[in-house]
This record gives sequence, structure tokens and C-alpha cells, in this order.
Amino acid sequence: MTGDILPDSVFIHRSPETAASKGGPLRGLQIAIQPNISAAGWPTEAGSNALANFKSLEDATVIRRLRQAGASLCGSTRMSEFGFGLQGSQAGGALQDQAADAELVLDMMGESRLAAGRTGVCGFKPSWGLVSRYGLIGLIPSMECCGILSASFTDVREILKVIAGPDELDFSLPGEKPLDFSPQNIDPKNTTIGTINEAQDGLPAGQEEAFRASLDDLNKAGFAVREMSFPDFPLFSPVHQIVGSVEASSAAGRYDSVRYGPRAAGGKNWNEMYLLSRAIAFGPLVKSYLFQGAFFQFERYEAFEDACRIRARLLAGMHALTSHVEFLVFPAVEAAPSTTPASLPQTYAQFASTLFANVTGQPALYLPPGRSAGHSGIQLTGPRLSDARLLSLGEQLLHLGRGGK
Amino acid sequence: MDFEAVIGLEIHVELNCTTKMFCDCPNRYGDEPNINTCPVCLWFPGAMPRFSQQALEKASLVCLALGAELQPRSAFDQKVYYYPDLPKGFQLSQAHLPLSRGGGIYIVDENGQPKRARLHHVHMEEDVAKLVHEMEGRLPISLVDFNRAGTPLVEIVTEPDFRSPYEAMEFLKALRTQVRYTGCSECSMDNGTMRVDANISIRPRGTSQMNTKVEVKNMNSVRHVGDAIAYEITRQTAAVQAGETVILHTRLWDPDKKVTTPMRAKFEGPCVPDPSVPAIELSAEWIENMRSRLPEMPAARAERFVKQHGLTPEEARFLSSDLDVAGYFEALIREGIAPRTAMHWLTTQLVPALKERQLELGASPVTPARLAALLKMLSKDEINANAAREVLVHLFDSGETPEAIVTAKGFRQVSDTGALDALIEKVLAAQPTAVADVKKGQGKAMGFLVGQVMQASGGKANPKVIRELLAKKLAT
Ligand SMILES: [Zn+2]
Repeated sequence: MTGDILPDSVFIHRSPETAASKGGPLRGLQIAIQPNISAAGWPTEAGSNALANFKSLEDATVIRRLRQAGASLCGSTRMSEFGFGLQGSQAGGALQDQAADAELVLDMMGESRLAAGRTGVCGFKPSWGLVSRYGLIGLIPSMECCGILSASFTDVREILKVIAGPDELDFSLPGEKPLDFSPQNIDPKNTTIGTINEAQDGLPAGQEEAFRASLDDLNKAGFAVREMSFPDFPLFSPVHQIVGSVEASSAAGRYDSVRYGPRAAGGKNWNEMYLLSRAIAFGPLVKSYLFQGAFFQFERYEAFEDACRIRARLLAGMHALTSHVEFLVFPAVEAAPSTTPASLPQTYAQFASTLFANVTGQPALYLPPGRSAGHSGIQLTGPRLSDARLLSLGEQLLHLGRGGK
Repeated sequence: MDFEAVIGLEIHVELNCTTKMFCDCPNRYGDEPNINTCPVCLWFPGAMPRFSQQALEKASLVCLALGAELQPRSAFDQKVYYYPDLPKGFQLSQAHLPLSRGGGIYIVDENGQPKRARLHHVHMEEDVAKLVHEMEGRLPISLVDFNRAGTPLVEIVTEPDFRSPYEAMEFLKALRTQVRYTGCSECSMDNGTMRVDANISIRPRGTSQMNTKVEVKNMNSVRHVGDAIAYEITRQTAAVQAGETVILHTRLWDPDKKVTTPMRAKFEGPCVPDPSVPAIELSAEWIENMRSRLPEMPAARAERFVKQHGLTPEEARFLSSDLDVAGYFEALIREGIAPRTAMHWLTTQLVPALKERQLELGASPVTPARLAALLKMLSKDEINANAAREVLVHLFDSGETPEAIVTAKGFRQVSDTGALDALIEKVLAAQPTAVADVKKGQGKAMGFLVGQVMQASGGKANPKVIRELLAKKLAT
């Protein structure tokens, strides 16, 4: 019944599976993944030469849970190297081509939300620690999270319900009470949504107007919008970059070509074999990121320690804001796929308004604009583990935007 | 100038957990290469570490046994270096927040004075893979065995409290005793379950300055540690006296040439916190529970042996310094053997006999119950001490009970006065000179006559009975 279809511009691997014979909440749902999410036997190169020809040995926890719930995996799409940024990524492409009902995209600086934005679907990054990372081949363990893309809010919620929760294979999941994901009514009369002034600094002129337009939508829906100040906000980007690059440099240390991965010829001893193999393993963007991480770890360790301290301060700051307002709204930046290779600063600039949620571990949601909206969508967030309420808010707004259906 | 040495030790102790530290692979030594591996300990993409509760418990017991203070919060860091024995490019180790701080154990220095050697901290870490260097024809090849990768270790770091090789060696022996008592490690330098690095510097005697230290590795016995330290003290002293500066580096002990030689430094950087292994938080209740699981430690046991069994402090310390010997001793006591007899037979007969046969006490075919049965026959005068020693030899080779061996081999002592009377008469008749000497009051001659009767009985007579009978006969 199954047979590989030739890879195309969106998919790097297609393996239409028949749905599980037993029923399940996700029965009939077609889900596309990326090749950095382990599915046993599938090519799992994570967009990198470091894992050329690598095939997963076992299913990631999210994959196992999706299959048990009756979902079918339809293939994996082209991705950026190790899922860092969107260069070369076709995330969202399977939805656009109507080849899948939902996609899973690892979100380490906002990738799932930006991909959802360019596709015009919902993109949700759950709270850090809510979804098992077992089997996800990432780069920044303390920031990355399995994101969900779908045009249907019900599908996003149902998928999250299935993949969330404690996993005996991922001890880093805090032992929190299981969340109740059933839809909740968010009463606009009792709900304030905050904006952070500093988050809009430096927005391109057109986008600032678009953001105003999206706030009007919230007002129209009956929500009070409150402007707030968080002077530390500009620190999110450097903190993400320093902590993230150090973690990445450590995490990528395993790609030594001893146990798997391509081994460069010509090394006269193990040391040369390492150096040559690692030289061909990574592309320019990831390589510069790894260099940066190694630089901070070995040459500017104090800067790394500072970044860790500031990260704790940013966490506390965001927590304080969400004790005044229940949700926060951020601009949704348009991310046109670029053909020229992005530099590290360009990549960070692109994700400037999304990476805060990766630093703090908060849930974040990209919501596509309604039919007649004068903007390109909005980004919403709430405190960590407020995932259920954030989804309910998103769903309510989406229905209003689509004409209250 | 007169110099003194400042010595600190770093001891890696492999915990005898059933699994590795972050996966369920067996923690077993000596298996075929690379069979005890899984995606986690080979660090395949997507694998995540799962910290073993057993490793935490055993490591904590070791800390408590060394008088160290378990920290309410500790965490794993990534010790980054690259080498083919390290699957993920970093070793999970506790660099910033160790499992315990402080602690120490008592040793006795060269002058017989007790001295407390302090610990700086104890931290947990995973072991790395083993490299095997071979030749494939003329081509040198390096093979990696990942069976050891990820097996659980504690690293015990002392304060620089030792001033001589002797003190360092005494500490290692005392440490081994303490850790073995917990049952958490075999702690043997022979098979690598205990590995010791020494940090050595010298300074003018009487000063308190801390000079540049040199690390020495690759010693595989306590004696080698002492030798390497002694060599290094001599080498550094000569160097300083020749006007050279000691530079920070690592040296390898060469056990054949008995010298240390410099080794190439490993590339190593500062440690960063590991984002995937949750921090370890220990409650006061948990720590107390662990403390209650700690067995009676050697010092307390020795004290009890003195009070309960009337041993001298030296005897008690000797018995309690080895967990197995102490346990065997107590088993003999439980079988009803007098403490002094038990100690005497255990230390002068059984332990040497085991050593001769290269057997461990735990694997002794002469169980406490069998030895006790033999010693009971001795105390009831059913056999004499010579016979008992011979029966002991037979107990090693035969599964028979001591009683059966005594009967079969005719070791039973003759205490029957009627049977002995005839022998005595014969001896007295044959030894008129000795008889006369006894009557003149010469004690030596009595001993000679007892010996003669013993010989005539083929060693089976009860010497006490012979003595009594002889005394009675010669008094008339
Ligand atoms: Zn394993």
C-alpha cells in the first residue's frame, strides 16, 4: 500500500501511510513533518550534510503519539539546516499544496509562526516543557519546541492534546498537572490584552500601520488593549543569540563522524578526520552560529553568564507583565522566502519579534488575518502553560475575523 | 632550601549501578565491545538523557559515607572537549553545582598521629568510551568501545591536605574502606573501578603558599600513586633547585620505568549548564532517608567490637577495616563462637588460606557455618588444634561437614582415660630419665612426656587429659 513518491519541491520524502485501522481522535488527519523529527526508517537528515543518509532508528514521542491517535504521516518537507531560521525551508508548503491537514515544525526562534504567516494559516508554538523533545533533532535544547501549523484551529488543538504531556523518555518535561485543552470562553469584558511599546521599535513603516490595524480588530472584538513598557525587551535578541549559539555549539558536538554522518577523506589522524569532517558537515549559516557559540563559551564566558542572568530577568519581567494583563499581542512580521543566503544578523533581524517566546518558554500563536483585515495577522502570547486559554482566544478571534461563523 | 609537598587527589569511583547513568543499558564490565549501547549512550540524533535514580542514590550514599554534605540543589553541566571517546562532544558532569561539598575522613600519618583529610566536593559524572589502539597490518587503527560510555561515576576531590606519599596512600586505603562499606562500588584500582589523579606542588617547608601544581595520571595501584608522587616531589624539587619554573601541565606515570612524562593537554573549555537533565533537588527528608540506609561504618563498628566482644582497639580496627572480614567475624559470633577464637581463626587461618588459593572471602567454600562447626568441635575438645587446622584444609576441597571429615579421617581426639592409660604406661617405661627429671621438678620434662604420649596416639590424644593423667601418676 505504501510506496515512496519521488521528492518534489516541497517534500523531501513522501510515504503516504494508511491510517491506523483503529479509530482515534486524529483519525484521517494527514500530517507532514520535517526531517528533523524522527520517524523510524525515514531519512532524517535535518537539512544538514552532517546527517547525510541518516535514517531514524525509532519514532519521536510526538510521532508515536500521533500514530496512536490515528493520524497518518504523509511525508517530510524540505527544511533549513537543523531547522535554524527558514532559509531553504518549505514549512507550510504542504498545507499550501493541500497535501496535508497540518504540519509539525520545530520552533527555535519563531520558525513555525513565521512559516504560518507566509502560508496564511495558524501557527502555534506550545509552552516549553509541554511537548516531549524526545526524537527531535534540534540545535537549542532550552528554547526549541515542536510547533503546529494548520488552517484549522480544531486540528491545532486536537494535535496539541495528543502530543502534549509527560513522557518517560524526556525527563526535562516538568512534572506538571496535565492541562485541560477543552475550548474555553474568553470573555472580552474581563480580558485585557497588552502591547509592549519596545517591541514595535524599529518596525518598518508599513508594518507599524498593519499592527495598529490588528489592534483595531481586537478592540472591535471587545477586548481592551493596554499599552505597556518593557525596557528590557531589546535584550531578547542578544540573549537568544548568545545562549542559543552556545547551546548549539555544544549540541552539534555529537556530529563527529565517528558513529554516523559522512566522514571526509584524507585525514592523517583522528584529529584531522574530525576537522575535515566537520568542515564539510555544516553549511555557512549554521557554521557561523557554531563558531559564535564556541567563541562565547571559550573566549567570552562572562558574556554567556551575563546572558543567562539576563534571561532570568527577562523571564521575570514577562511574568510580571502577564500579571497585569492576561495576554500580550505582538506584531506579526511578514517573511517572504528569500533566495539569497541569509547571514546571521539578517536571520536574527527576521525573527526579532518572535524569539522572545523561545527565550521565556511561553506559548505563542500566529493568527492569520481575517478576510478584510488591513494587516498580515497577529501574534499572541500568554504566561507559560496558558496554552489552552491562548488557543481559545485565538479561535474566538479567528471566528470573528472570518465573519463570526 | 627544604621543601615540602602539597598534594591533592581526584578519585574517580565507578558506581556498581545496574544501568548506565542516563539510559537503561547494562553497566557491565568485560562484555563484547559495543553490545551495551543504545541511541542515548551513542548519542544518536534526537536521543535524550534520562538520569538514573539508582545512580543518584548510590552517589549520595558515597557522599554520606565520606562525611560530605549533600547539597539541596545540584545540576549537570556540559564539559566540552572533543575526542573520539566522547560521543556527544561533551561529558555530563557537575562542574558548577556538585552533589556534595565538604566532608573528610581520618587517616593516621607516619608519626602515628590521627589527621583529618578534608574533601572539597564530590560530583557525579558519566564515564567516556574506551579507545583501543591496534595495528591493521602496518596501519595503526583506533577502535572505540562504547560499553563504558555513560556508566556512572563519582569524582571525589580532596583539599590539598597531604604532605607525603604515605598520607596519600593511607587516604586511598581509608577511602576504599569507606566506599566499599556502602556497597556502591568495588573501588578497585586493579580493575579500574577506582582511578586516581594526583595534583602535586612543592613549597618551602613551613610556608603556606600554593605553587603551580602538576597533575599526574595513569597509576593503577595505591603503591603506584605513592611512587608517582614521590617521584614527582623529587623531580620538582630538583627542577626548582636548578632554577627552573614549574609550569601547569599533566604527566603520565610510567610504571615500568618508574618515571612521569609530560602528556599532551586535552582541549577543554569552561562548562555550560546542560539544558536537558533537570536540576537535582534533594529534600531534607530524602537526605535523612539516605542516611538511614547507610550501613554502620568502620569506625563505629570497631568501637562496637571493642565494647561488645572485648577485642582490643587494634584488633577491632583490623577486623572492621574490611567489610567482608567484619561480616564473617560477626557471622561466626552468631554461630556461637567465642569472639577471640573467631578473630584468631579468621585472621591467622582462614584469610591466609584464602589468599593462598586466590579466593575472595565472599566466595569462600568455607562458609561461616562450616568454620563454626569445626571450631565448636575444637572447643568441646572433640579434636585438638592440630587436627582442626588439617580439617580446615579438607573443608576447602570437600563439601563434607567438618564432623564427617573428622570421623572419616580419624581426627577425633582420644580423651578416654582407659585408652590413654596404656599408652602412658608404655611411655613412662620407655623414658626413665624424663620421669626422674619430672620428679626433680623440671617442667620441661613434663612437656616432653606429653609430646611422647601424643605421638604414640598418632596425634589424636587430648593433651589436657594426658597432662592430668601424667601428673596423677608421677605424683605418687
Ligand atoms: Zn545506552
